[in-house]
Amino acid sequence: MQSTKFNPWEMALEQLDSVARKMKLNPNVHAILRHPKKSLIVSIPVRMDNGSVRVFTGYRVQHNISRGPGKGGIRYHPDVTLDGVKAMAMWMTWKCAIVNIPFGGAKGGIVCKPEEMSSDELERLTRRYTSEIILMIGPERDIPAPDVNTNQQIMAWIMDTYSIDKGYSVPGVVTGKPLSIGGSLGRNEATARGCVYTLMSAVKYLGLDLHRQRVVVQGYGNVGWNSAKLLFEQGCKIIGVSDVEGGIYNSDGLDPYKVYEHSRKTGSVVNYKEAENLTNQELLTLNCDILMPAAIETQITKSNARRIKAKVLLEAANGPTTPEADKILEDKGIFVIPDILANAGGVTVSYFEWVQGMQAYFWSEREINLKLRDIMQKAFDNVYRLSRKKKVTMRTAAYILAVSRVADAHLTRGLYP
Amino acid sequence: MLKKIECFIQPSKLDTIKDAIFSAGAEGLSVTDVRGVGRQRGYTAEEKPKKKVKFLPKTKLEIVVDEEMVEDIIALIKKLGRTGTIGAGKIFVVPVEDAVRISTEEVGKSAIY
Repeated sequence: MQSTKFNPWEMALEQLDSVARKMKLNPNVHAILRHPKKSLIVSIPVRMDNGSVRVFTGYRVQHNISRGPGKGGIRYHPDVTLDGVKAMAMWMTWKCAIVNIPFGGAKGGIVCKPEEMSSDELERLTRRYTSEIILMIGPERDIPAPDVNTNQQIMAWIMDTYSIDKGYSVPGVVTGKPLSIGGSLGRNEATARGCVYTLMSAVKYLGLDLHRQRVVVQGYGNVGWNSAKLLFEQGCKIIGVSDVEGGIYNSDGLDPYKVYEHSRKTGSVVNYKEAENLTNQELLTLNCDILMPAAIETQITKSNARRIKAKVLLEAANGPTTPEADKILEDKGIFVIPDILANAGGVTVSYFEWVQGMQAYFWSEREINLKLRDIMQKAFDNVYRLSRKKKVTMRTAAYILAVSRVADAHLTRGLYP
Repeated sequence: MLKKIECFIQPSKLDTIKDAIFSAGAEGLSVTDVRGVGRQRGYTAEEKPKKKVKFLPKTKLEIVVDEEMVEDIIALIKKLGRTGTIGAGKIFVVPVEDAVRISTEEVGKSAIY
Protein backbone atom coordinates (compact mmCIF):
# COMPACT_ATOMS: atom_id res chain seq x y z
CA MET A 1 0.00 0.00 0.00
CA GLN A 2 2.55 2.55 1.08
CA SER A 3 4.77 3.63 -1.77
CA THR A 4 4.61 0.31 -3.61
CA LYS A 5 5.32 0.61 -7.28
CA PHE A 6 3.49 -2.57 -8.21
CA ASN A 7 -0.19 -3.32 -7.78
CA PRO A 8 -0.66 -5.34 -4.56
CA TRP A 9 -3.74 -7.11 -5.90
CA GLU A 10 -1.79 -8.33 -8.94
CA MET A 11 0.97 -9.50 -6.60
CA ALA A 12 -1.56 -11.37 -4.45
CA LEU A 13 -3.05 -13.00 -7.55
CA GLU A 14 0.39 -14.01 -8.81
CA GLN A 15 1.14 -15.64 -5.47
CA LEU A 16 -2.15 -17.54 -5.60
CA ASP A 17 -1.59 -18.61 -9.22
CA SER A 18 1.90 -19.83 -8.48
CA VAL A 19 0.77 -21.85 -5.45
CA ALA A 20 -2.21 -23.20 -7.40
CA ARG A 21 0.19 -24.59 -10.03
CA LYS A 22 2.46 -26.15 -7.41
CA MET A 23 -0.37 -27.83 -5.51
CA LYS A 24 -2.51 -28.63 -8.61
CA LEU A 25 -5.44 -26.73 -7.15
CA ASN A 26 -8.89 -27.56 -8.49
CA PRO A 27 -9.32 -24.98 -11.31
CA ASN A 28 -12.88 -24.13 -10.31
CA VAL A 29 -11.84 -23.33 -6.75
CA HIS A 30 -8.87 -21.40 -8.12
CA ALA A 31 -11.19 -19.26 -10.25
CA ILE A 32 -13.38 -18.49 -7.25
CA LEU A 33 -10.43 -17.63 -5.00
CA ARG A 34 -9.14 -15.19 -7.64
CA HIS A 35 -12.14 -12.96 -6.88
CA PRO A 36 -13.08 -11.35 -3.59
CA LYS A 37 -16.51 -12.50 -2.48
CA LYS A 38 -17.79 -9.03 -1.76
CA SER A 39 -16.33 -5.53 -2.24
CA LEU A 40 -18.14 -2.50 -0.94
CA ILE A 41 -17.19 1.09 -1.81
CA VAL A 42 -18.81 3.73 0.34
CA SER A 43 -18.87 7.52 0.31
CA ILE A 44 -18.61 8.89 3.82
CA PRO A 45 -19.82 12.47 4.27
CA VAL A 46 -18.34 13.99 7.41
CA ARG A 47 -19.04 17.35 8.98
CA MET A 48 -15.61 18.87 9.68
CA ASP A 49 -14.90 21.08 12.70
CA ASN A 50 -15.05 24.22 10.53
CA GLY A 51 -18.62 23.44 9.52
CA SER A 52 -17.89 22.26 5.98
CA VAL A 53 -18.70 18.76 4.78
CA ARG A 54 -16.03 16.53 3.28
CA VAL A 55 -16.78 13.27 1.53
CA PHE A 56 -14.30 10.44 2.12
CA THR A 57 -14.08 7.13 0.29
CA GLY A 58 -14.06 3.90 2.27
CA TYR A 59 -13.89 0.22 1.42
CA ARG A 60 -14.71 -3.08 3.01
CA VAL A 61 -13.81 -6.27 1.17
CA GLN A 62 -14.50 -9.88 2.11
CA HIS A 63 -12.23 -12.15 0.14
CA ASN A 64 -13.49 -15.51 1.36
CA ILE A 65 -15.77 -16.66 4.16
CA SER A 66 -15.84 -20.43 3.54
CA ARG A 67 -14.12 -21.16 6.87
CA GLY A 68 -15.98 -18.60 8.98
CA PRO A 69 -16.77 -14.89 9.24
CA GLY A 70 -14.47 -12.39 7.57
CA LYS A 71 -11.63 -11.01 9.66
CA GLY A 72 -9.31 -8.14 8.96
CA GLY A 73 -8.24 -4.67 9.96
CA ILE A 74 -9.37 -1.22 8.91
CA ARG A 75 -6.69 1.16 7.67
CA TYR A 76 -6.86 4.96 7.61
CA HIS A 77 -4.29 6.17 5.09
CA PRO A 78 -4.11 8.45 2.04
CA ASP A 79 -2.71 5.58 -0.07
CA VAL A 80 -5.64 3.22 0.55
CA THR A 81 -6.97 1.80 -2.73
CA LEU A 82 -9.56 -0.83 -3.56
CA ASP A 83 -6.87 -3.09 -5.03
CA GLY A 84 -4.76 -2.76 -1.90
CA VAL A 85 -7.71 -3.63 0.32
CA LYS A 86 -8.59 -6.62 -1.90
CA ALA A 87 -5.02 -7.92 -1.67
CA MET A 88 -4.90 -7.57 2.11
CA ALA A 89 -8.28 -9.30 2.41
CA MET A 90 -6.89 -12.23 0.43
CA TRP A 91 -3.79 -12.37 2.65
CA MET A 92 -6.07 -12.43 5.69
CA THR A 93 -7.85 -15.47 4.24
CA TRP A 94 -4.52 -17.30 4.07
CA LYS A 95 -3.32 -16.08 7.46
CA CYS A 96 -6.45 -17.29 9.28
CA ALA A 97 -6.22 -20.63 7.49
CA ILE A 98 -2.57 -21.19 8.43
CA VAL A 99 -3.23 -20.88 12.14
CA ASN A 100 -6.46 -22.79 11.58
CA ILE A 101 -8.78 -20.32 13.26
CA PRO A 102 -12.37 -20.34 11.94
CA PHE A 103 -12.26 -17.04 10.08
CA GLY A 104 -12.17 -15.99 6.47
CA GLY A 105 -10.34 -12.98 5.12
CA ALA A 106 -11.51 -9.38 4.96
CA LYS A 107 -10.04 -5.89 5.07
CA GLY A 108 -11.21 -2.30 5.07
CA GLY A 109 -9.86 1.18 4.69
CA ILE A 110 -10.65 4.84 4.37
CA VAL A 111 -8.71 7.25 2.16
CA CYS A 112 -7.84 10.01 4.63
CA LYS A 113 -5.00 11.72 6.50
CA PRO A 114 -5.84 10.99 10.13
CA GLU A 115 -2.93 13.07 11.43
CA GLU A 116 -4.61 16.16 9.96
CA MET A 117 -7.98 15.40 11.56
CA SER A 118 -9.26 16.19 15.04
CA SER A 119 -10.45 13.46 17.37
CA ASP A 120 -14.05 14.61 16.87
CA GLU A 121 -13.69 14.44 13.09
CA LEU A 122 -12.18 10.97 13.34
CA GLU A 123 -15.06 9.86 15.54
CA ARG A 124 -17.66 11.16 13.06
CA LEU A 125 -15.74 9.57 10.17
CA THR A 126 -15.56 6.23 11.98
CA ARG A 127 -19.20 6.21 13.02
CA ARG A 128 -20.48 7.13 9.55
CA TYR A 129 -18.20 4.56 7.91
CA THR A 130 -19.48 1.92 10.35
CA SER A 131 -23.03 2.88 9.51
CA GLU A 132 -22.30 2.62 5.77
CA ILE A 133 -20.79 -0.88 6.04
CA ILE A 134 -23.13 -2.07 8.81
CA LEU A 135 -24.88 -4.60 6.58
CA MET A 136 -21.58 -6.31 5.92
CA ILE A 137 -20.15 -6.57 9.43
CA GLY A 138 -21.22 -8.41 12.57
CA PRO A 139 -19.87 -11.09 14.92
CA GLU A 140 -21.06 -13.84 12.57
CA ARG A 141 -20.38 -11.95 9.32
CA ASP A 142 -17.20 -9.94 9.38
CA ILE A 143 -15.17 -8.65 12.32
CA PRO A 144 -12.93 -5.58 11.81
CA ALA A 145 -9.78 -4.87 13.84
CA PRO A 146 -7.15 -2.11 14.11
CA ASP A 147 -4.61 -1.62 11.35
CA VAL A 148 -2.43 1.30 10.21
CA ASN A 149 -3.60 4.52 11.99
CA THR A 150 -6.57 2.87 13.69
CA ASN A 151 -6.54 2.05 17.39
CA GLN A 152 -8.54 0.85 20.39
CA GLN A 153 -10.57 4.06 20.51
CA ILE A 154 -11.65 3.70 16.90
CA MET A 155 -12.65 0.08 17.58
CA ALA A 156 -14.70 1.29 20.55
CA TRP A 157 -16.55 3.77 18.30
CA ILE A 158 -17.27 1.02 15.76
CA MET A 159 -18.54 -1.27 18.52
CA ASP A 160 -20.70 1.51 19.96
CA THR A 161 -22.17 2.52 16.60
CA TYR A 162 -22.98 -1.08 15.71
CA SER A 163 -24.44 -1.72 19.19
CA ILE A 164 -26.66 1.36 19.02
CA ASP A 165 -27.98 0.19 15.66
CA LYS A 166 -28.81 -3.23 17.13
CA GLY A 167 -30.15 -1.89 20.40
CA TYR A 168 -27.85 -3.94 22.62
CA SER A 169 -24.09 -4.27 23.24
CA VAL A 170 -22.29 -6.40 20.69
CA PRO A 171 -18.64 -6.76 21.75
CA GLY A 172 -17.99 -9.47 19.12
CA VAL A 173 -18.33 -7.08 16.18
CA VAL A 174 -14.74 -5.82 16.43
CA THR A 175 -11.50 -6.90 18.07
CA GLY A 176 -8.67 -4.80 19.40
CA LYS A 177 -11.13 -3.09 21.74
CA PRO A 178 -10.13 -1.45 25.01
CA LEU A 179 -10.19 -3.83 28.00
CA SER A 180 -13.06 -1.93 29.58
CA ILE A 181 -15.51 -2.99 26.84
CA GLY A 182 -14.40 -6.55 26.22
CA GLY A 183 -10.85 -6.32 24.88
CA SER A 184 -8.53 -9.24 25.51
CA LEU A 185 -5.52 -9.36 27.77
CA GLY A 186 -2.35 -10.04 25.84
CA ARG A 187 -3.63 -8.40 22.65
CA ASN A 188 -0.94 -5.69 22.59
CA GLU A 189 1.95 -8.13 22.67
CA ALA A 190 0.20 -10.82 20.65
CA THR A 191 1.90 -10.31 17.28
CA ALA A 192 5.35 -10.08 18.87
CA ARG A 193 4.71 -13.15 21.01
CA GLY A 194 3.50 -15.09 18.00
CA CYS A 195 6.70 -14.17 16.12
CA VAL A 196 8.85 -15.26 19.05
CA TYR A 197 7.00 -18.59 19.35
CA THR A 198 7.56 -19.38 15.67
CA LEU A 199 11.22 -18.44 16.06
CA MET A 200 11.56 -20.72 19.08
CA SER A 201 10.25 -23.61 16.99
CA ALA A 202 12.50 -22.68 14.07
CA VAL A 203 15.74 -22.58 16.08
CA LYS A 204 14.90 -25.99 17.48
CA TYR A 205 14.53 -27.51 14.01
CA LEU A 206 17.68 -25.75 12.83
CA GLY A 207 19.64 -27.08 15.78
CA LEU A 208 20.42 -23.61 17.14
CA ASP A 209 20.18 -22.38 20.70
CA LEU A 210 18.12 -19.23 21.13
CA HIS A 211 20.57 -18.03 23.79
CA ARG A 212 23.08 -15.53 22.51
CA GLN A 213 21.62 -15.44 18.98
CA ARG A 214 22.41 -12.02 17.56
CA VAL A 215 19.16 -10.33 16.60
CA VAL A 216 18.49 -7.28 14.44
CA VAL A 217 15.00 -5.75 14.55
CA GLN A 218 13.87 -3.26 11.91
CA GLY A 219 11.06 -1.11 13.29
CA TYR A 220 10.52 -0.22 16.93
CA GLY A 221 6.75 0.12 17.02
CA ASN A 222 4.46 -2.24 18.88
CA VAL A 223 5.77 -5.40 17.22
CA GLY A 224 9.45 -4.44 16.97
CA TRP A 225 9.80 -3.23 20.53
CA ASN A 226 7.79 -6.07 22.11
CA SER A 227 9.71 -8.65 20.09
CA ALA A 228 13.06 -7.13 21.06
CA LYS A 229 11.99 -7.23 24.70
CA LEU A 230 10.74 -10.83 24.57
CA LEU A 231 13.82 -12.06 22.71
CA PHE A 232 16.11 -10.22 25.13
CA GLU A 233 14.33 -12.04 27.96
CA GLN A 234 14.94 -15.30 26.11
CA GLY A 235 18.67 -14.59 26.24
CA CYS A 236 19.13 -13.24 22.72
CA LYS A 237 21.55 -10.41 22.06
CA ILE A 238 19.76 -7.50 20.40
CA ILE A 239 22.57 -5.94 18.37
CA GLY A 240 20.59 -3.54 16.18
CA VAL A 241 17.21 -1.86 16.04
CA SER A 242 15.74 0.94 13.95
CA ASP A 243 12.71 3.07 13.29
CA VAL A 244 11.66 5.38 10.48
CA GLU A 245 14.44 7.88 11.41
CA GLY A 246 17.25 5.32 11.18
CA GLY A 247 18.95 2.59 13.15
CA ILE A 248 21.43 1.95 15.95
CA TYR A 249 23.99 -0.80 16.35
CA ASN A 250 26.12 -2.22 19.14
CA SER A 251 27.85 -5.56 18.60
CA ASP A 252 27.90 -6.15 22.37
CA GLY A 253 24.12 -5.93 22.51
CA LEU A 254 21.56 -3.29 23.40
CA ASP A 255 19.20 -3.16 26.34
CA PRO A 256 15.81 -2.92 24.60
CA TYR A 257 14.16 -1.34 27.66
CA LYS A 258 16.69 1.50 27.73
CA VAL A 259 16.36 1.95 23.97
CA TYR A 260 12.59 2.15 24.38
CA GLU A 261 12.97 4.80 27.10
CA HIS A 262 15.35 6.76 24.88
CA SER A 263 12.95 6.53 21.96
CA ARG A 264 10.03 7.70 24.09
CA LYS A 265 12.00 10.70 25.29
CA THR A 266 13.54 11.76 21.99
CA GLY A 267 10.99 10.42 19.49
CA SER A 268 13.43 7.99 17.87
CA VAL A 269 15.90 5.22 18.66
CA VAL A 270 18.71 7.10 16.83
CA ASN A 271 21.47 8.86 18.80
CA TYR A 272 21.20 6.30 21.59
CA LYS A 273 24.39 6.84 23.57
CA GLU A 274 25.57 3.23 23.82
CA ALA A 275 25.40 2.55 20.09
CA GLU A 276 26.44 3.87 16.72
CA ASN A 277 23.91 5.24 14.24
CA LEU A 278 23.36 3.65 10.84
CA THR A 279 20.76 3.73 8.07
CA ASN A 280 17.91 1.25 7.74
CA GLN A 281 19.61 -0.19 4.66
CA GLU A 282 22.87 -0.75 6.59
CA LEU A 283 20.91 -2.28 9.45
CA LEU A 284 19.35 -4.94 7.23
CA THR A 285 22.72 -6.18 6.05
CA LEU A 286 24.38 -6.33 9.48
CA ASN A 287 26.21 -9.47 10.46
CA CYS A 288 23.62 -11.22 12.63
CA ASP A 289 21.84 -14.55 13.19
CA ILE A 290 18.22 -13.45 13.17
CA LEU A 291 16.88 -10.58 11.10
CA MET A 292 13.42 -9.40 11.97
CA PRO A 293 11.81 -6.84 9.65
CA ALA A 294 8.97 -5.40 11.76
CA ALA A 295 8.31 -2.19 9.86
CA ILE A 296 6.76 -1.75 6.42
CA GLU A 297 6.49 -3.65 3.13
CA THR A 298 9.18 -4.25 0.49
CA GLN A 299 12.29 -3.71 2.62
CA ILE A 300 14.24 -6.71 1.39
CA THR A 301 14.57 -6.35 -2.35
CA LYS A 302 16.76 -7.72 -5.13
CA SER A 303 19.18 -4.86 -4.48
CA ASN A 304 20.01 -5.83 -0.86
CA ALA A 305 18.96 -9.49 -0.55
CA ARG A 306 22.39 -10.75 -1.63
CA ARG A 307 24.04 -8.86 1.24
CA ILE A 308 21.78 -10.23 3.97
CA LYS A 309 23.86 -12.22 6.42
CA ALA A 310 21.26 -13.57 8.83
CA LYS A 311 20.57 -17.30 9.15
CA VAL A 312 16.89 -16.76 9.87
CA LEU A 313 14.57 -14.10 8.44
CA LEU A 314 11.60 -13.62 10.73
CA GLU A 315 8.96 -11.62 8.84
CA ALA A 316 7.05 -9.73 11.51
CA ALA A 317 5.92 -7.08 9.01
CA ASN A 318 3.53 -7.83 6.17
CA GLY A 319 5.24 -8.36 2.81
CA PRO A 320 8.75 -7.20 3.82
CA THR A 321 10.37 -9.34 1.11
CA THR A 322 9.79 -8.89 -2.62
CA PRO A 323 9.38 -12.05 -4.76
CA GLU A 324 12.75 -11.43 -6.47
CA ALA A 325 14.49 -11.09 -3.12
CA ASP A 326 12.75 -14.23 -1.94
CA LYS A 327 14.41 -16.22 -4.72
CA ILE A 328 17.83 -14.84 -3.73
CA LEU A 329 17.28 -15.71 -0.05
CA GLU A 330 16.28 -19.23 -1.08
CA ASP A 331 19.50 -19.64 -3.08
CA LYS A 332 21.51 -18.36 -0.14
CA GLY A 333 19.85 -20.93 2.13
CA ILE A 334 18.39 -18.36 4.52
CA PHE A 335 15.57 -19.86 6.55
CA VAL A 336 12.48 -17.65 6.13
CA ILE A 337 9.58 -17.65 8.56
CA PRO A 338 7.04 -16.08 6.20
CA ASP A 339 4.84 -13.16 7.25
CA ILE A 340 1.52 -14.98 6.99
CA LEU A 341 2.82 -17.49 9.54
CA ALA A 342 5.14 -15.33 11.66
CA ASN A 343 2.77 -12.45 12.36
CA ALA A 344 -0.43 -14.48 12.70
CA GLY A 345 -0.29 -14.13 16.50
CA GLY A 346 -2.20 -10.86 16.23
CA VAL A 347 -5.20 -12.35 14.47
CA THR A 348 -5.03 -15.39 16.75
CA VAL A 349 -5.48 -13.29 19.88
CA SER A 350 -8.16 -11.32 17.99
CA TYR A 351 -9.88 -14.67 17.60
CA PHE A 352 -9.52 -15.23 21.37
CA GLU A 353 -11.02 -11.79 21.98
CA TRP A 354 -13.98 -12.65 19.74
CA VAL A 355 -14.46 -16.02 21.49
CA GLN A 356 -14.31 -14.36 24.92
CA GLY A 357 -16.79 -11.69 23.80
CA MET A 358 -19.20 -14.31 22.43
CA GLN A 359 -18.96 -16.34 25.65
CA ALA A 360 -18.96 -13.23 27.86
CA TYR A 361 -16.30 -15.03 29.86
CA PHE A 362 -12.74 -13.71 30.02
CA TRP A 363 -9.47 -15.58 30.34
CA SER A 364 -6.29 -14.78 32.25
CA GLU A 365 -3.28 -13.46 30.37
CA ARG A 366 -1.36 -16.64 31.11
CA GLU A 367 -4.12 -18.74 29.61
CA ILE A 368 -4.16 -16.55 26.50
CA ASN A 369 -0.38 -16.73 26.06
CA LEU A 370 -0.33 -20.51 26.46
CA LYS A 371 -3.18 -20.97 23.99
CA LEU A 372 -1.39 -18.64 21.56
CA ARG A 373 1.83 -20.61 21.91
CA ASP A 374 0.03 -23.86 21.25
CA ILE A 375 -1.55 -22.51 18.06
CA MET A 376 1.67 -20.89 16.78
CA GLN A 377 3.77 -24.00 17.46
CA LYS A 378 1.23 -26.21 15.71
CA ALA A 379 1.06 -23.88 12.73
CA PHE A 380 4.86 -23.77 12.50
CA ASP A 381 5.11 -27.57 12.76
CA ASN A 382 2.52 -28.05 10.02
CA VAL A 383 4.22 -25.60 7.66
CA TYR A 384 7.69 -26.96 8.40
CA ARG A 385 6.68 -30.59 7.84
CA LEU A 386 4.94 -29.69 4.59
CA SER A 387 8.00 -27.77 3.37
CA ARG A 388 10.21 -30.82 4.05
CA LYS A 389 7.76 -33.26 2.51
CA LYS A 390 7.18 -31.26 -0.69
CA LYS A 391 10.75 -29.88 -0.77
CA VAL A 392 9.51 -26.30 -1.09
CA THR A 393 10.33 -23.10 0.81
CA MET A 394 8.57 -22.24 4.06
CA ARG A 395 6.65 -19.52 2.24
CA THR A 396 5.38 -21.86 -0.47
CA ALA A 397 4.51 -24.47 2.15
CA ALA A 398 2.58 -21.88 4.15
CA TYR A 399 0.62 -20.87 1.08
CA ILE A 400 -0.06 -24.47 0.07
CA LEU A 401 -1.34 -25.27 3.55
CA ALA A 402 -3.53 -22.18 3.67
CA VAL A 403 -4.96 -22.48 0.18
CA SER A 404 -5.66 -26.19 0.63
CA ARG A 405 -7.57 -25.56 3.87
CA VAL A 406 -9.70 -22.87 2.22
CA ALA A 407 -10.23 -25.05 -0.87
CA ASP A 408 -11.25 -28.00 1.34
CA ALA A 409 -13.80 -25.89 3.16
CA HIS A 410 -15.16 -24.55 -0.10
CA LEU A 411 -15.40 -27.94 -1.79
CA THR A 412 -17.02 -29.52 1.26
CA ARG A 413 -19.67 -26.84 1.42
CA GLY A 414 -20.24 -26.98 -2.33
CA LEU A 415 -21.31 -24.28 -4.74
CA TYR A 416 -24.75 -22.72 -4.33
CA PRO A 417 -27.13 -23.32 -6.02
CA MET B 1 -1.42 -29.26 24.58
CA LEU B 2 0.57 -31.53 26.84
CA LYS B 3 -0.89 -34.30 28.95
CA LYS B 4 0.58 -36.33 31.76
CA ILE B 5 -0.18 -40.01 31.81
CA GLU B 6 0.09 -41.18 35.36
CA CYS B 7 -0.31 -44.91 35.64
CA PHE B 8 -0.02 -47.55 38.32
CA ILE B 9 1.07 -50.97 37.15
CA GLN B 10 2.32 -54.27 38.51
CA PRO B 11 6.10 -53.92 39.11
CA SER B 12 6.77 -56.98 36.93
CA LYS B 13 5.30 -55.19 33.90
CA LEU B 14 7.65 -52.20 34.06
CA ASP B 15 10.39 -53.54 31.79
CA THR B 16 8.24 -54.27 28.76
CA ILE B 17 6.10 -51.17 29.19
CA LYS B 18 9.03 -48.74 29.44
CA ASP B 19 10.61 -49.99 26.23
CA ALA B 20 7.32 -49.92 24.36
CA ILE B 21 6.59 -46.38 25.50
CA PHE B 22 9.91 -45.14 24.16
CA SER B 23 9.37 -46.97 20.87
CA ALA B 24 6.00 -45.24 20.62
CA GLY B 25 7.74 -41.87 20.69
CA ALA B 26 7.65 -40.70 24.30
CA GLU B 27 10.83 -38.86 25.23
CA GLY B 28 10.96 -39.47 28.95
CA LEU B 29 9.34 -41.08 31.91
CA SER B 30 9.68 -41.20 35.67
CA VAL B 31 9.17 -44.27 37.77
CA THR B 32 8.35 -44.49 41.47
CA ASP B 33 7.88 -47.54 43.63
CA VAL B 34 4.66 -46.96 45.50
CA ARG B 35 2.21 -48.79 47.67
CA GLY B 36 -1.44 -48.54 46.82
CA VAL B 37 -4.86 -49.94 47.20
CA GLY B 38 -7.92 -49.98 44.96
CA ARG B 39 -11.37 -51.49 44.99
CA GLN B 40 -9.91 -54.88 46.00
CA ARG B 41 -8.82 -53.33 49.33
CA GLY B 42 -5.39 -54.90 48.91
CA TYR B 43 -6.56 -58.48 48.61
CA THR B 44 -5.75 -60.55 45.54
CA ALA B 45 -8.42 -62.43 43.56
CA GLU B 46 -7.61 -65.64 45.45
CA GLU B 47 -7.86 -64.08 48.93
CA LYS B 48 -11.08 -63.46 50.78
CA PRO B 49 -11.24 -59.69 51.48
CA LYS B 50 -11.35 -58.69 55.13
CA LYS B 51 -12.24 -55.34 56.66
CA LYS B 52 -8.63 -54.32 57.19
CA VAL B 53 -7.26 -52.50 54.14
CA LYS B 54 -3.86 -53.71 52.91
CA PHE B 55 -1.40 -51.95 50.65
CA LEU B 56 0.12 -53.75 47.69
CA PRO B 57 3.37 -52.78 45.95
CA LYS B 58 2.80 -51.02 42.64
CA THR B 59 4.95 -49.07 40.21
CA LYS B 60 3.93 -45.56 39.21
CA LEU B 61 4.88 -44.21 35.79
CA GLU B 62 4.62 -40.56 34.85
CA ILE B 63 4.90 -39.72 31.19
CA VAL B 64 4.34 -36.27 29.71
CA VAL B 65 3.43 -36.33 26.01
CA ASP B 66 1.71 -34.25 23.38
CA GLU B 67 -2.02 -34.93 23.51
CA GLU B 68 -1.91 -36.50 20.06
CA MET B 69 0.05 -39.41 21.54
CA VAL B 70 -2.16 -40.07 24.54
CA GLU B 71 -4.44 -42.67 22.95
CA ASP B 72 -1.51 -44.71 21.62
CA ILE B 73 0.26 -44.75 24.97
CA ILE B 74 -2.93 -45.76 26.80
CA ALA B 75 -3.47 -48.58 24.31
CA LEU B 76 0.09 -49.82 24.91
CA ILE B 77 -0.18 -49.72 28.69
CA LYS B 78 -3.54 -51.49 28.57
CA LYS B 79 -2.15 -54.20 26.31
CA LEU B 80 1.13 -54.77 28.12
CA GLY B 81 -0.05 -54.07 31.67
CA ARG B 82 -2.86 -56.60 31.63
CA THR B 83 -2.43 -59.45 34.11
CA GLY B 84 -5.67 -61.27 33.44
CA THR B 85 -6.87 -60.56 36.93
CA ILE B 86 -7.89 -57.68 39.20
CA GLY B 87 -5.18 -55.41 40.57
CA ALA B 88 -3.44 -54.84 37.24
CA GLY B 89 -3.47 -51.08 37.84
CA LYS B 90 -4.94 -47.83 36.56
CA ILE B 91 -4.19 -45.10 34.08
CA PHE B 92 -4.92 -41.42 34.70
CA VAL B 93 -4.62 -38.64 32.15
CA VAL B 94 -3.93 -35.20 33.56
CA PRO B 95 -3.73 -31.88 31.68
CA VAL B 96 -0.32 -30.23 31.87
CA GLU B 97 -0.48 -26.46 31.69
CA ASP B 98 3.16 -25.93 30.76
CA ALA B 99 6.61 -27.50 30.78
CA VAL B 100 10.09 -25.97 30.99
CA ARG B 101 13.39 -27.68 30.21
CA ILE B 102 15.69 -26.22 32.82
CA SER B 103 18.94 -26.51 30.85
CA THR B 104 17.80 -24.68 27.73
CA GLU B 105 14.73 -22.84 29.05
CA GLU B 106 12.70 -24.35 26.21
CA VAL B 107 9.00 -24.33 27.00
CA GLY B 108 5.86 -26.25 26.09
CA LYS B 109 6.15 -29.08 23.61
CA SER B 110 9.79 -28.13 22.90
CA ALA B 111 10.66 -28.85 26.51
CA ILE B 112 9.54 -32.46 26.04
CA TYR B 113 10.59 -33.37 22.50
